[in-house]
Amino acid sequence: MEFFDIMPMIRDFGLEALGLRTVMPEAQAAITFADGRPPVVLHRPDLLDRTHASIARYSGTDADLWVELKKRAIGLQDLLATGLYNLPTEATMADLTALLEGVFGDLGITPDFATKSIKVVIDELFETPELRALLYRATVEWGYPVDQAGSGVAFLTFIMWTLGNWKMVRGGTHALAKTMTQACYREGVDLIENSDVEKVIIKDGRAVGVVTRGREIRAEKCVASNADVRQTLLDLVGEDHLSPLWAKRAHAFRYGPSHVLGTPMFCLHEAPDYKSAKWDPDVNRCFYTMVGFDGPDDTIRYIRDAYSGRIPMPAAGLWVNSLWDRAQAPAGRHTATGWYFLPPASALTGAEWEDVRSTFNERFIDVWHAAAPNMTRDNIIAHRLYTPDQMEHKNRMFEGDFSNGEFAPDQLGTNRPFPEASSYRTEIDGLYFCGPSAFPGGGVHAACGYNAYKAIAEDLGLPSPVVTERGY
Amino acid sequence: MKQVCDVVIIGAGHNGLTLGAYLARSGLDVVVLERRHEEGGGLCTEELTRPGFLHNVHANYHTFVDMAPAITDLEVRENGVEYVRPEVQMASIFDDGTALTIHTDLDKTCESMARFSETDAETFRRLHTEAHGFVDLLLGTLMYQPPMSVKELTRALAAFGVEERTEFLSVRLRRETINQFLDQHFTNDRIKAHLAFHGAVCGYTNDVAGLAIGFPLLIGKIDNWHLCLGGSHRLAHALWRDLAHHGGTLISDAEVASIQVEDGRAVGVRLTTGEEISARRAVASTVDVEQTLLEFVDPTDLSPELRTRVANDVVHKDWSLFSVHAAMSELPEYTAAEFDPDVNRAWVVNLGYASTDDLDDDWRLIRKGGLPDPRPNAAVNSLYDPTDAPDGCYTGLLRQFAPYDLHGGGAGQWEGMGRWYAQRCLDVWRRHAPNLEANTFIDWAPFTPLDISRKLVNMVRGDWMMGEISLDNLLDQRPLPELGEYRTPIDRLYLAGSTQHPHGFITFGPGYNALQIMADDLDIDPWWRVI
Amino acid sequence: MPDIYTSDWYEAVRDSINVKVAEMQGVPEGTWHVAIDIVGDGRSPYVNQGAERNFVVRIEDGRCAWYREVDGADPGVRLDFRFRGPAEEFDRIAAGLLDPIDAALRGTIKARGDMRFLMRQAEHVQVLLEAYTDGVETLWPDGRPPYDGESA
Repeated sequence: MEFFDIMPMIRDFGLEALGLRTVMPEAQAAITFADGRPPVVLHRPDLLDRTHASIARYSGTDADLWVELKKRAIGLQDLLATGLYNLPTEATMADLTALLEGVFGDLGITPDFATKSIKVVIDELFETPELRALLYRATVEWGYPVDQAGSGVAFLTFIMWTLGNWKMVRGGTHALAKTMTQACYREGVDLIENSDVEKVIIKDGRAVGVVTRGREIRAEKCVASNADVRQTLLDLVGEDHLSPLWAKRAHAFRYGPSHVLGTPMFCLHEAPDYKSAKWDPDVNRCFYTMVGFDGPDDTIRYIRDAYSGRIPMPAAGLWVNSLWDRAQAPAGRHTATGWYFLPPASALTGAEWEDVRSTFNERFIDVWHAAAPNMTRDNIIAHRLYTPDQMEHKNRMFEGDFSNGEFAPDQLGTNRPFPEASSYRTEIDGLYFCGPSAFPGGGVHAACGYNAYKAIAEDLGLPSPVVTERGY
Repeated sequence: MKQVCDVVIIGAGHNGLTLGAYLARSGLDVVVLERRHEEGGGLCTEELTRPGFLHNVHANYHTFVDMAPAITDLEVRENGVEYVRPEVQMASIFDDGTALTIHTDLDKTCESMARFSETDAETFRRLHTEAHGFVDLLLGTLMYQPPMSVKELTRALAAFGVEERTEFLSVRLRRETINQFLDQHFTNDRIKAHLAFHGAVCGYTNDVAGLAIGFPLLIGKIDNWHLCLGGSHRLAHALWRDLAHHGGTLISDAEVASIQVEDGRAVGVRLTTGEEISARRAVASTVDVEQTLLEFVDPTDLSPELRTRVANDVVHKDWSLFSVHAAMSELPEYTAAEFDPDVNRAWVVNLGYASTDDLDDDWRLIRKGGLPDPRPNAAVNSLYDPTDAPDGCYTGLLRQFAPYDLHGGGAGQWEGMGRWYAQRCLDVWRRHAPNLEANTFIDWAPFTPLDISRKLVNMVRGDWMMGEISLDNLLDQRPLPELGEYRTPIDRLYLAGSTQHPHGFITFGPGYNALQIMADDLDIDPWWRVI
Repeated sequence: MPDIYTSDWYEAVRDSINVKVAEMQGVPEGTWHVAIDIVGDGRSPYVNQGAERNFVVRIEDGRCAWYREVDGADPGVRLDFRFRGPAEEFDRIAAGLLDPIDAALRGTIKARGDMRFLMRQAEHVQVLLEAYTDGVETLWPDGRPPYDGESA
């Protein structure tokens, strides 16, 4: 959870007093290798000397540059937070080049970086293949397309700030939802589970409630939809209530393939002990560890395969939270979870996904075992794979897209979900977007909900949540 | 995390949440600590098989709806719970294709019974009518009050001359088994089997002496079985919501390591993570007595005699439950529907116990660690809950009475046997409902007695009742006579879980009754007693 | 002889209770307020259908200190027990035609409050009930139960 320190609701609702507890592992992200060569380990912001030592095993120049870039990116925190937790503003090319020059100009980053893709930026900055592979793979975690022209700015600012900023929630990620639920309960919010919303009721051009399980719930003030823009406008509102432009925009909204992940889950006796740990034991106690990649070439092929609708080679980013939180596994056991980068749900048939679910973990376990010899089948008590088609079914994350809408220039910033809807308001009075298909997109930052509240507060004359000193 | 509060409650099962919500509504600053990542304890609903299939892993039947004061006092429905009372509550299907059904409509139940015995049907009508009359009184006297002793109870029944006034309440019931009660009043084996089976599902084993005294109460609510829409866990959410809305705090993933005692008085708890929470007024534990008094309390704070008593004399249930949770593409269509079409709409279906001897045989076997030939009971909640499975699919549950310790190898043996035994249980179901072909089970998952204790560690030895149901372990004798009044030898440390009177099941009783004692001790204004 | 449910009738009931209690040993010490809600059922002529008459009895150290007809929504005191049921049931009890324990067991008169206390004080409760049922000669100006020709 990289946004923990800037998420407004954690402080605004006192979630820590309600039981939210976190751990920030020292080693944050690493790549490990089957041939046992040294890992690359990135640490949290207060331990950059250790990160420097790790990268310097391969390249002193890369290590120096990494640390310097990281320090500059840390300095961007206020700017990023203000950007996330406010309604989007149009960033012009001139703004971006000025930002790059102002912050990174002395490090050889020229204005033309604003037009480059993430892959090109990574390749031009760093000479170490192992570091490049790590960074490509890390990039897909946030849904940024590595090959897209102009995406490189996001790498230098957002991803550089984010990498190494992870906190994990004690008791599992769901504990954050639970403390927020508790805050909702305290404030008098009703949470009605197992209640598929069938439609938004529109009366005289205004959203006045919803129908769920055949029953109407009337809303005196407004309706806010956390469902994505297509579901909200096409399924719940219905085209007959939309203008031709809004209907066209909703149809044109795209999911994936840039943020489609499958989640393998493993119950383990022992935590993995990697061959690469002989160089740096930190890799065995690293929050997020990439396994199954050999270098930039196979990593970029892996990403491009998934983009193109093909099942890539078995390789994953993995975390073993039970190393820091005993609540996440029975005594003496460990829980490992991970992410495979996979094609969107519609790229495969149901039967093909069923096949992936029954074979892909097995293939990965072989790869894992090659990198960590104790990852034998005896060490794995049970495992399961959760695939994009299931996410679509379970969470209505269409195509399994974590971001609820592709990250592409025409669907980002003031273009998210589409230009006319970027203020969280819709053309239907009293209907708002508050989910990740709105700005800034997917990720556990709650900015979509926070910003939607700002828009609603302004329209309904409710108190502003802005705290002047934090700037949002 | 909060560091100081008025009352710390250990365990967020329905009793912990109930007690917490009452205290929060009384203006106290309450923290409820839960070891697991989810509140609810036995109110546990999980997608054990496939996404969208909501399986009640523990509590499935809510039989005290509109009887427990907490339901109204804590505005359970306003807090989001929707209950359904299935029209066909239960059924027994017998090997010869006949079946018995229990309805919310007494006439229909009697019609069904009359097909087996007209006399018994009439007896049942009288028993049901009488039990319905006094169920309120019995609940108020026996469930939702701190316990009386059997002696006090007997004296009062004599003073009021109850025995002369009723056909079914008798002083001698305190020595008799449910089997004896049934033999005295009923003639037909199958009717007796069904009534005994129904008692067993409530945790009242039909061959245990003394339990006849509780049987009229069970009959008084035999048609009050409710299903919690969206899974039993919804009730936990509602109780939690009430707690939080009144300023209380639930903290999950908070495993208690010790209860802090100063000068003989409980003053707070320490978690396994080292975090501490002080309690200005009291600490209440709703988990098992063994954890509370032997693990959480330092040995120097408790007498060695009581420690020995807790270690040796707390009695757990001598049978547990084996479950199969199924994701299904078809509803069961029983062969017995030709005899009684209502069996296809029955919520809880006994598959095979045709006499009290059948049950007794299994209890004898189970007590020796033997595994019975399955005679499971089947409950398809989707019959009455359209939200607990994806469209066109159904969530099913098979429950089989089973031992915790298996003969020869202990509970560990369950490890490798779950799927095998589950398959045998499914085979029995399919024999009675031939349309349930193998491919109608999209997926299924066994849940063994060992799994019960692993998931909810306070259900020691698979004991889902948190203490045996027998007359020497009920009322003021539960869990031990010296702990029967919710107080402990440590000042301001209370026991408020199902180890206490009345017992486990979703009764709300232990938490509600502990509240009465705490209100007296802590001088809390008992607003809920406004009558 | 007083008319049913009048002040005089309740005075008589009170006196009858207190005479009996005076002969008892070990009556509980303390003060209790008991509500009696007599709900019009269309059969009793003494309470209109849909209406109800609410009385509160104060028990002090086992004796009846006073009774009062009150506004049901605001009895003016904190209640310890409530007995509620159809008027005909109460009429029949007062006429000695129905045993109050039977009424409670049949659930026609609902009892609320600390049942454990009532059970523990069973002997005392019995005395109070007897005084109520057969301690007073009662006049029935609008007719006497059983109603509608029901046999006694």
